[in-house]
Amino acid sequence: MGSNEQIHRDKLIIDTDPGIDDSMTILMAFRAPTVEIIGLTTIFGNTTTKNATQNALLLCERAGHPEVPVAEGSAEPLKGGEPRVADFVHGSDGLGNLFLPAPTSKKVDENAAEFMVNKVSQFPGEVSILALGPLTNVALAIKRDPSFASKVKKIVVLGGAFFAAGNVSPAAEANIYGDPEAADIVFTSGADVDVVGINITTQVCFTDEDLLELRNSKGKHAQFLCDMCQFYRDWHAESDGFHGIFLHDPVSFTALVHPEYFTFKKGVVRVETQGICTGHTLMDQGLKKWNSENPWSGYKPISVAWTVDVPNVLAFVKELLMAP
Amino acid sequence: MTTTKKKLVIDTDPGIDDAMAIFVALRSPEVELLGLTTIFGNVYTTLATRNALHLLEAVGRTDIPVAEGSHKATKLRIASFVHGSDGLGNQNFPPPTGKPLDQSAAAFLVEQANLYPGQVTVVALGPLTNLALAIELDPSFPKKIGQIVILGGAYSVNGNVNPAAEANIFGDPDAADIVFTSGADILAVGINITHQVVLSDADREKLEQSDSKYARYLSKILGLYYDYHKDAYFIKGVYLHDPATLIAAVDPSLMTYTEGVVRVQTDGITKGLTVFDTTKKRYGEITAWTGKPTVKVAVTVDAPAVVEIIMQRLTTDD
Repeated sequence: MGSNEQIHRDKLIIDTDPGIDDSMTILMAFRAPTVEIIGLTTIFGNTTTKNATQNALLLCERAGHPEVPVAEGSAEPLKGGEPRVADFVHGSDGLGNLFLPAPTSKKVDENAAEFMVNKVSQFPGEVSILALGPLTNVALAIKRDPSFASKVKKIVVLGGAFFAAGNVSPAAEANIYGDPEAADIVFTSGADVDVVGINITTQVCFTDEDLLELRNSKGKHAQFLCDMCQFYRDWHAESDGFHGIFLHDPVSFTALVHPEYFTFKKGVVRVETQGICTGHTLMDQGLKKWNSENPWSGYKPISVAWTVDVPNVLAFVKELLMAP
Repeated sequence: MTTTKKKLVIDTDPGIDDAMAIFVALRSPEVELLGLTTIFGNVYTTLATRNALHLLEAVGRTDIPVAEGSHKATKLRIASFVHGSDGLGNQNFPPPTGKPLDQSAAAFLVEQANLYPGQVTVVALGPLTNLALAIELDPSFPKKIGQIVILGGAYSVNGNVNPAAEANIFGDPDAADIVFTSGADILAVGINITHQVVLSDADREKLEQSDSKYARYLSKILGLYYDYHKDAYFIKGVYLHDPATLIAAVDPSLMTYTEGVVRVQTDGITKGLTVFDTTKKRYGEITAWTGKPTVKVAVTVDAPAVVEIIMQRLTTDD
């Protein structure tokens, strides 16, 4: 290879609510050679938006990248009101109740939606967004700039439960439930969207054995992550009777950098915003010719993750987390 | 040894596959058909009543009473493009000579449940309005009825009215949610099951060659139903929604079931969506499914065996 040959690195903004599995993902992403993180934007979900910003700054410092900008996002969903925060899953600090000292770096002045719009306008067709929380910021960016959907390279969403039970209720997954109106805007925006639902992410787990392997590894952040994961793991045991953790966010990151480990099906996805099924993601699989217009008619299909190559995804996650 | 026959009431909106289901019931030695109650869906209720009377007359079973059901449907969607404007494949049969009972469908259902407590099975082949009205009329109906076998819902698959909803549930989602959460012994057969039970072109030929009066009648009305399936689903053959559900009531061993809570979405873009909680996961918060009575939902079907039993009954005479 010629010495002047450079590895092409895809520009990435991670929209995140760290969050234990968000933390794993952010630390992984900083080590992935094909990705250039140009900023983190924050959102409520696993914790409050304010906490998420503090945690994002802290994670950039931990990763040795205090220069990466962190833009704070919306404190509430589009329709307003107190957001739902899963502190019983991630601890009151969002990081497994480790109560780490405050970061020294500061968030940028732009808010998350402004930051996304500005970066995507600056590098049209080059910036991807990995959305790991409720989709409020992405929806605000789409509303702010009508050309955002066509200029963003790709939006990879962790969210939804496709033809499977949700995790907030039998109908809804937590990220979509957190802001169903925003999710419906993003899915019907015409942007190139890949969505990874919990029907996929719950297939990829770290068992107690895997967590021990991580702890015993030479991974730069292995001890930190394992300490953080304890709270998360105990919640999984209580809620799902499963001794280990689901890798929701790391799997979604893997879908961005290694889509070949997944198969996808195309279809229009709409989100229910009313009633007992609020937050339900419903995809038209296109198996039937409808005899009249319905709420799915006329929208651009998005890609829904359908199957996952579990061993390859696990190997990739471990490689990034356990490398010294 | 004598076996007691299963007492059945079929709540129906005939409908081409309803006609098949009614005929299969008449040809099932395990079944005593107490009556038909009518509902809108494939056709308006008035026409459903007329067709129910007509079908019984066509095969000489005027001994079976017909009770007319509710005309109410908030936003009526009639599937005439599936079943024809007369509901029976546009054959324009002469009007029936018989009349329905003076009783409403709901009153008839309550009466039969009281007459034979715990012994009556209702096979519900249309929107669940009559059953919800029966529950409203007599709050002890869910406890007194033996079992309610429902053709309705799309469990973890797309619907057939739109991506979210199956036609019978969409026809009256509020009624469906009342019935599913009523505490009655319920067995639900969704289109995830009935789309596996297909009457092939070869089966249709066998029906056409059969001398049984049931097969001869059905051969006349099936054409339109075949055309619709070819156009809408790109398949050669027709789904046996109603007959398969009837078989689930007659011989439950041909399907397997999972127990859990079913709720129906009653508003929004996914109105008519059926969401089934198998209660495997413990949710952190109270949900709309928490604490509601469970029902049985069919999850697998021995489709060839179901088709075979339907064919066997329809191609032989009394």
